[in-house]
This record gives sequence, structure tokens and C-alpha cells, in this order.
Amino acid sequence: MLEARGLHMRFGDLVVLEDITLGFPEGRLSGIMGPNGAGKTTCFNVLTGRYKPVRGSITLRGEDITGLAPHAIARKGVSRSFQLMNLFNEFSAEENVLVALPDMRRRGFDMLSRRGSDATVRGRARQALDRVGLADKADMPARDLSYGERRALEIAVALATEPSVLFLDEPTSGLGTDGTERLAELIGRLKGQLTMVMIEHDMAFLFGLADRIAVIHWGQVIAQGTPEELRRNPWVENSNLGKLR
Amino acid sequence: MLIAFAVFGSLPFWITEIGLYHYLGVEILIWCIYELGFNLLLGYAGLPSFGHGAYFGIGAYAFGLTQFNLWPNLWVCLAAAILAATLFGAVVACFISHRRGIYFALMTIAFGQMFFFIASKWTSVTKGEDGLLNIARLPVELGFAAYPIQRNAAFYWFVFACFVVVAVLLWRIVNSPFGKVIQAIKQNELRMSFLGYRVELYKGAAFVLSCAFSGFAGALFAMAQGGAFVQVMNLQWSGVIVLMTLIGGGLVSFWGPVLGTILYFVARDLLGAYTATWLLWFGLMFMLVVMFKPEGLAGLWRDLRRRGATRTNAAKAGAQPSALLALLRAR
Amino acid sequence: MDSLLFLLPHLLNGLALGLLFALIALGFMLIIGVMEVINLAHGSLFALGAYAALALMTPDGGLPPAMVALFQALPLAWRYAAALVLAPLAVAIVGMGLELCLRRTYGRDPLYGLLLTFGAALVIEELIRLAWGPTERFIPMPQGITGGVMLGELIYSKYRMFAALFAIAMIALLWLFLERTPYGAIIKAGAHDSEMVGALGVNLPRLRLFVFGFGSLLAAIAGIVMVPIWGIRPHVGVDAVVPAFVIIVLGGVGSFWGAVIAGLLVGMVVGLTGAFATDWSLISMYMLLILVVTFRARGLLGKKSILEA
Repeated sequence: MLEARGLHMRFGDLVVLEDITLGFPEGRLSGIMGPNGAGKTTCFNVLTGRYKPVRGSITLRGEDITGLAPHAIARKGVSRSFQLMNLFNEFSAEENVLVALPDMRRRGFDMLSRRGSDATVRGRARQALDRVGLADKADMPARDLSYGERRALEIAVALATEPSVLFLDEPTSGLGTDGTERLAELIGRLKGQLTMVMIEHDMAFLFGLADRIAVIHWGQVIAQGTPEELRRNPWVENSNLGKLR
Repeated sequence: MLIAFAVFGSLPFWITEIGLYHYLGVEILIWCIYELGFNLLLGYAGLPSFGHGAYFGIGAYAFGLTQFNLWPNLWVCLAAAILAATLFGAVVACFISHRRGIYFALMTIAFGQMFFFIASKWTSVTKGEDGLLNIARLPVELGFAAYPIQRNAAFYWFVFACFVVVAVLLWRIVNSPFGKVIQAIKQNELRMSFLGYRVELYKGAAFVLSCAFSGFAGALFAMAQGGAFVQVMNLQWSGVIVLMTLIGGGLVSFWGPVLGTILYFVARDLLGAYTATWLLWFGLMFMLVVMFKPEGLAGLWRDLRRRGATRTNAAKAGAQPSALLALLRAR
Repeated sequence: MDSLLFLLPHLLNGLALGLLFALIALGFMLIIGVMEVINLAHGSLFALGAYAALALMTPDGGLPPAMVALFQALPLAWRYAAALVLAPLAVAIVGMGLELCLRRTYGRDPLYGLLLTFGAALVIEELIRLAWGPTERFIPMPQGITGGVMLGELIYSKYRMFAALFAIAMIALLWLFLERTPYGAIIKAGAHDSEMVGALGVNLPRLRLFVFGFGSLLAAIAGIVMVPIWGIRPHVGVDAVVPAFVIIVLGGVGSFWGAVIAGLLVGMVVGLTGAFATDWSLISMYMLLILVVTFRARGLLGKKSILEA
């Protein structure tokens, strides 16, 4: 589905990604883990078009998307959620999701019809909110939501674009056990429906959901495999990435 | 806010009754048009333009030049004014659409100054500092009849009609999908680009639209003053509309700019009678507003209503204030 | 060949102008470094410096007669030197006042800070207009630095030479201050990472206040020295902030010598344009701004600039 080959990324003199080659099979959930500063988020940023890699290529369904602008890549069905939440704080939860809908985007330059207040569009927005359990908070301004609710909204917005590939950047960060459980449930439901790539620090969470995991350290992929394979990997075992039961 | 619209709809009768001179009403309405268009850029898209006087001036000059050299027909001249301002706006937009914040602001200043400079120097066309004089208030030709609008009273009604059209048009625009998109861009441009929007196109469109409205207002002003003058294109005047728009509450309300315009003209006429330094006070007021209440007059109004509403509602049923707040905050 | 030689005095002018621009830009840059704000009022402070010097140097500059009489008793050169010291200090105080006003906008949408400094620029310009009138004013200059001097076959302006040397001295002093004194080190650190500096125990609000005052001081000094070159008009403020911005974009925020070199470049462009078409010299700055911003999109050593906020 989505493949990265030989990605190199550099900021000035600092090499952040070195020869990253990863494959994300369709319909599967691929995980990325590694210590802080390893280059995971940079990897995401390169894959979603925020940065152009110095070397290497990215292909989506066989089509080369290296170096395309974020909006172009997004239009091809790639969506992402952000580690530090990136919401529209003045908008209500519903409005947040509304602008993400492909329907709205297609009508972006429509200047004369009524605001997306026609029933179908709003209905779809509510559906998107329902998926993450926020349907009852539809009219609340995003900045008034609780942290967990904002996290849920963050994902709802990313999902609302009806993507075929979804990037999740540390979706559980800051969530308590309740929130994490609900999130695990949601992601579990989504498995098989779309291709997902997830960066996570919560090992139990990641190992429970991912089909394959890649470990990135110092900007390089140092291990790849299924959760079981990685559990047996001595590097992972001995590292301080968390002990697993 | 259809209520507000109805209130302003009855304004002209009130003005006539009180006996305030019609020309003031004309000026206020023209500047309202200018500012409502400007607020599309500042309040809704969040892009600060400190050089908008240029497009106002371009509209005025275009109107006059078309009248003298092409066809002294009201509609043609107005169309020419809008077209000219739009074209220049489009050119500038190419340079600034992908910017925001300080880069955007300084570029608008630079272009504004350049246009001001050109207008001042190109005396063969613009007559320089003296201004392009003898611009007439062309009669309103509607095919079956022509209404002269020479007199202030008649001219007022024409300007009011223009104001209504502009207000309705802008209201539709800001409540359309486009309006939603630019508001979203104002809040989080990065996210919008990741959601697949070509943000430069939207910002550019907002800019060009606001230029078009400015040009229209400029043409009306040329008719009102009987001439097109270069002063409106300078930095001070470009800055003044920013002040007016913000103080009125353009950042949070559709009608904010109108409040700001009224305040400005009231201040000019009332305070101006007492002191020559009234612009200074206006500027200081602007600073205070930015520091303490950036939502401006409209924001104050909203606070008052909210306090009244929550008190009664809370008394009634201990209802959720948050839903009400959300409702009141909606534009 | 002759025509090229003819350019030499203009090159000197450009040099002097460029060095003074660099001085303005350095003050501008210090403020940006330690705060997140682009001070659009920087140019007005520049203008205020010139007017403050005017107040001190001329009998009808606006000061109470008793003070004026006292001051006028001194010889012109002394008065000039005193003005160069006192006027910037007064402006520094105004600058600090502005910083206090800006505090309310920290942490909010940077649009507000921008609007506030714009408002301040407008207010200061109006104040100047009211206090000193909208017409052009003049400051008498000490004999030693006025007039021309013949070198070879061309006449060079003594004042430009003085201005250039003075600016070089100021820049050198500034460099020494930043590089060799402990307080300078704090400012540099603060410019690099103001939060960190606060965490290390430096009183951040006080630092910001000081830096704002200091930056204003530099702008004011430049303003005073620039008077014979640009004249004193209320509107001169806007014309001063634009080159500062262009220089920062060209030279990079946080690069001392980058600002100096860029300043020289900008000064040359403006000065040389002035040689051929005086009317166009100011507008050339705006055109330069447009060119620079269009083609040097980031231009800032890869580091994402706060200017992009």
C-alpha cells in the first residue's frame, strides 16, 4: 500500500533519518516505536509531505508521492493525527469534523450556499463524532473539551477525511486507562477497514494492536517484525522501551 | 444576526429625522462597505493587511478615469472600479498568498506604499497630489428610468442600497462553505493543509475579494467627494481601517466593523470639534482594546448579553451554560 | 571610468546609510530574539530619537525655556554629544513602556502583538506630529562634521564619514557588549532560548524590559545620526522599520554579522538609487523588501523562524 525506500532526512547538519525502508501493507496496522528523538515523528512528517526527504522515495499504491505537498498527499487518501493536538479551538467539535469531510473540501470555494448546515453534511459530521463517542459534545467549542475528549476529537478529525491510510502519532499520550481502553477498542474496530501506521510509546497498547512493528533508533530502522518476533528480539528485550509480560 | 440587520435597515429613517447631515451617513456607509470587505480578510481569515488603502484608491481612480475616458455610465464605471481593484489585488495576492503573520503584513505595507508612490508620481494619469477632480455622481440608469443622485439625500439612498447588497453578499459568503474554510485556516492553517486544502488559494481568494469590495467602496467615495485623491492610499489611512475594524469587534463579529466605523465618525465629528488630537486618542483606544479586550465593542456587547442570559437561564433550570455560550459565540 | 569614480561619494553615502541601517536592525533583532514580537514601532522609536535630539538641540524644540537656556549655553559640539546620550535614554524609557503594554499580548495569537505594535507606531507618529508639527525640521550640526572634504577630484561629505565611523564604533561596542560582558551573554542566551534562560534563574520579565529599552536606544541613536541624511519628518518612522526587516530576512535572525553585511547591502542599494533618482531611493527599499521576501522564503539557516508565527 504505502512504501518508503531509502529515506534520508537532514536538518542542516543534523541527520535525522538514515536509509529508512519501510512497507505498510494494506489493511494492516503497522507500528513504529523507538526512544524519544529517534526520528519517528520526522518519519511521519516526511511520509505525509511536510518535509521533503533529501534522498529516497515514497510510493502510495505504486504511485510516487515523494516531495508532494501535504495537501496533495492528503487528497490521495492519507490522513494523520498529531501528537500535540492540532484542532480548531474556536470551532465546535462538530465544526472541527465538518471541515475535514471530503464533501466540504470539494465545495470549498462555494461562496453562496448556506453554511454546511444542510442535513446530510451535518449528519455525517455527527456520525464521525459518534465513532469516537463525542456525539453529545457536538456543539461544545473545542477548547472547552477535556483532554481526553480533545484526543478523541483529534482522531475523529483525522478519520473524517475517509482516508485509506491513517497515521496516528502517539494517540494515547496523556490518556488515562479509561481513554486508552476506548481508543484500543476504536482502533480495533477500524482494523481491516484501512491501513494504519501508529507511533506509540505505550508498549502494551501497541503490541496488542499492531500486525507489524518497526523499531527506529538514531534515525535508522534497527528491527522489524511481528509483535512476537520483536518480543524475542534481544535488543528490544534489553532496551528500556518497557518490559513486556 | 438578522436582528442587527433589521436595526441597521431602519437607520436611514432615523438619520433623516434627527437632521444629522446626510453626507455623514453617506461617509459612514461607504466606510462600512470598505470595512466589511476588509474584515473578510482580517476577522475571518486572520490576515493583517496594512496596505488596503491602495485598493480603495485604485477603485476611486478607476471610476474617475473610466468616467472621463471610456463611458460615463454609472454601472460601467463601478464595474471598472471593482475590476481594477480586483486585478491589482490578484497580482499582489500572487506574492503574499502563501504567507501569514508579519511577512504578510509587511508585504502589504510594501505594496501599499508602492501603489501610493506610483499614484503620487504618475501625475499625467492621476493628477498627483491635487487629485482627479470633477468626478460626477452619475445618474442611476435602470433601463426604464434614470434617477439623478446629485443631491446628498438621493445619493444617500443609492449608497444605502449598495450597502444592503454588500452586506447581504458578505453575509452569504461568510456563512458559506468558503467562509467556514477560511475561518478554519485562520485557526489552524497547518491542519487545513493536511486535510487536503490548498490554503494559498483560499487566502488569495479572501484577499482578492476584500480588494474588490475596497475598490467598490473607493468608487462610491470618489462620487461622494467628487474626486479621487491619493491620500486615502497612504499608510495612515490604511492603518485607520484596521483600527476601526478591530475596535468595533471585527475579530469576533460580522457587524463589528460597522460599529467601529460609527464610532470612528462619531469620534471624528464630536471629539474633533474639541481637539485636534482626536486621532491620537483613537489610536490609544485601539492599543487599550488590543491589550484588554481584543474582541472589541462587539465582544463587550456579547459579554453583556451572555451575563444577562446565563443569569436568567441559571435561575430557570440550572441549565448547562456551556451550550448557551456556544450558541452565543456562534457568528 | 569617470562615471564610475563619480559613484564613489555615493558609495560612501551608501556605506554610511548601510551601517546605520545595520544598527537599527541589530536593535530590532535583539528585541525579536528575546521576545516573540516583531516590533513595528521600532521605526517610530527611531523617529522619536531624532525628535528628542531636536528638542534638546534647538531653542524651539519643545522643552521648557529654563532648560533650553541652560542647554543653549553650551557650545554646539557639546550639545550634540549630550543629545546623543540623553535623547536615546529618553527613548529607551518609552521603549520599556511599550514592552509593558505588550505583556498583555504574550501567549496569545501573535496577531495581537503585531496589531499592538502597529497601533503604537501610529500613536507615536501622531504624538510626534502634535508635539513638533508635520513639517520638516532641522538640527544644527557642529562645524567639525559638516561640509565636504576634497579627496582627489571628488567631494565627500564629512558628515557621511562621521556617520559611518560613528556607526562602526557603535557596532563594535555592541559586539563587545554582547560577546565580552556577562549581561551580554545573558541577552544572547535569552535570544536563543528565552524560556530556558528563565528556567536558569534569570528574571525574564526584567530581561525583556531591558532588551526592549536597549533596542530602542540603538534605534534612537541611529535616528539622531541619520537626521542630516534623511531629515526629520513624522513619517520617517515607517521608512526606518522596513530596511530593518529586510536586513533581518536577508542576514538571518540571530546572526550579528549577517545583519551587518545585509545592512551594508541594503544601504548600498538605497544609496546608489538615491544617486540616480532621489525620489526613488525610499521606494527602492519597499521594492527590495518585496524581492527579498519573495525569493528568500526561509533564508534562515533552516531553523524555523519566529517571524513565521
